[in-house]
Amino acid sequence: MNDDVLRVDGLTRRFGAVVANDDVSLRVRPGAVVGLLGHNGAGKTTLVSQVVGLLRPDVGSIRVGGVDAVAEPATARRYVALQPQGQAPIDGLTPRSAIEMSGRIRGLSPSAARVAAESLAEELDIGEWLDRRALPESRGLSGGIRRLTAFAMAVAAPTPLVILDEPTNDIDAARRRLLWQAVRRRGDAGAGVLLVTHNVAEAERIVDDLVVLHRGKVVAAGSPARLRGTTGSDLRLELQFAPDAVDLEAADGGPLPFPIRRTVRSGRRVLHTVATDAAAAAVTWAATLRERELIDGYALGPATLEDAYLALTSSDVDEAEPAPTGTEAAHV
Amino acid sequence: MSEHAIADRATPKRLAPVQVSLATTYATLLRWTLAQIGAMLPLIIVVQAMLAAGIIVGFGFLIPNIDGATALFLSTGAPTVLLLTIGLVMVPQGVSRSRTDGTFTYMRGLPVARPLLLAADLTVWLLIGLPSVAVGVLVATLRYDIALSFDWPVLVAATLLVTLMATALGYAIAVSLPPMLAQLVTQVLVFFVLLFSPITFGVGQLPEWFQAVHDILPVRPAADLLRAGLASDVFSASLRDLAVLLAWTVAGVAISVRALVRRR
Repeated sequence: MNDDVLRVDGLTRRFGAVVANDDVSLRVRPGAVVGLLGHNGAGKTTLVSQVVGLLRPDVGSIRVGGVDAVAEPATARRYVALQPQGQAPIDGLTPRSAIEMSGRIRGLSPSAARVAAESLAEELDIGEWLDRRALPESRGLSGGIRRLTAFAMAVAAPTPLVILDEPTNDIDAARRRLLWQAVRRRGDAGAGVLLVTHNVAEAERIVDDLVVLHRGKVVAAGSPARLRGTTGSDLRLELQFAPDAVDLEAADGGPLPFPIRRTVRSGRRVLHTVATDAAAAAVTWAATLRERELIDGYALGPATLEDAYLALTSSDVDEAEPAPTGTEAAHV
Repeated sequence: MSEHAIADRATPKRLAPVQVSLATTYATLLRWTLAQIGAMLPLIIVVQAMLAAGIIVGFGFLIPNIDGATALFLSTGAPTVLLLTIGLVMVPQGVSRSRTDGTFTYMRGLPVARPLLLAADLTVWLLIGLPSVAVGVLVATLRYDIALSFDWPVLVAATLLVTLMATALGYAIAVSLPPMLAQLVTQVLVFFVLLFSPITFGVGQLPEWFQAVHDILPVRPAADLLRAGLASDVFSASLRDLAVLLAWTVAGVAISVRALVRRR
């Protein structure tokens, strides 16, 4: 039996010569929070737009709650609550009325919608603004409160599939934490949640699974632990290069004095993943580089999902063995 | 090609899809749309009503020593000018704005039957348009001391149909063309309606070929139908006018609904 609340198979969508989604497959089960990670332009929003029937796929299938969303988009949409990436149109409304109306549209009774608005305001700590009117030109309510209101509008009524497209944009750190908890709670209550984000570090804590999209393709999928890819005890050595550094590959020109599992370059940072027993050698080496002013600074810490994500989505990655010589340091 | 599976959690609850009656959805969308206009709504209605009065009084200045028949013709044409202006200018502006600021896409992503989005919008424009017709008629009777003879069923049907036709066409223009182009087209249309359409002057003043063009355009039929409702003793409209008007309304609604439903 197929009980997936969202199942995407072999989805391809082109815009002219650009392949925005290239043979994408993923599933979201009831009760699961699935993070969809990717850089800007990776094809995340294109994917979401096809699920809710704003775009039509070129090839592939989408099933939402068992309904063929390509053939019956209107029926499929009844299974989905979407918080789009842009702000929700709430000018002229208070968060309370926006959440209530959103609940009504999703089938709540007037009294249930009122209760939903109250409890969401409490859950997200926006009670102070609940009756303040949003005005045109971003007046009345701040971007963060608008974004939280848009989230509350999406989840005002329980829906089998909740799709959140960058829900944490503009939101302060304290309320971001509340938002993540609220997302997790929706999953625990039985909804399948597809969480589109580029906030890897924060999303890691609440997702059951991750799908990494890069240039339209799924480049990795699995649990955060699996995606981290390395053994749990691995460390990450981060080297911060000076703006005028030429060769990020081997700062002192020589081979590295310890084995490296993975190397990722991100801007002027180079991230080496190293085994625990190489920690002392790595620190000594990095300290020497720092002393000789070949690097601006360094840090050693546990390997994170972000390292793995950057490795997956960077074209400038060396797995296991650093490339010998002549690797271009294009990111200087 | 990768696919991922999710660790099973303890038997999650199955949630039901959204089940709402069309009436509830329509009512909620209408509230939403009205709230978005919000505090501006009374102002818009007042300004429209003042425009109605303005057209009646202003056009009068064009014709010195206006006689009773001309005044009646002018006054009974003014509501059509107003309704067409609302439909062909204000509606496309509103729709273009909602397309630019993302409202259009947001609403289309909601679990609602998308044609209801059009229905809610049309209703709001109807609310804005109707008072101005009443004000226009009132000002006309006061200013020119004309005797109107209402044919209520015709008047009500004509007003609704003309408003619907104009707003549906305006909506269709705004969803079919890029915002800048839509603005340009509506400018041209208003110019055409005000100066080259037999609404405030008799169709006999136009060259014959142009009269023929107006037989298939919705403007003259709209004017004639409304006129027949306002001064039924003097003017009459034909079933053909009604048919032309209906055809344009259906076309406007069809194009608008298609744009709302269509996936790119």
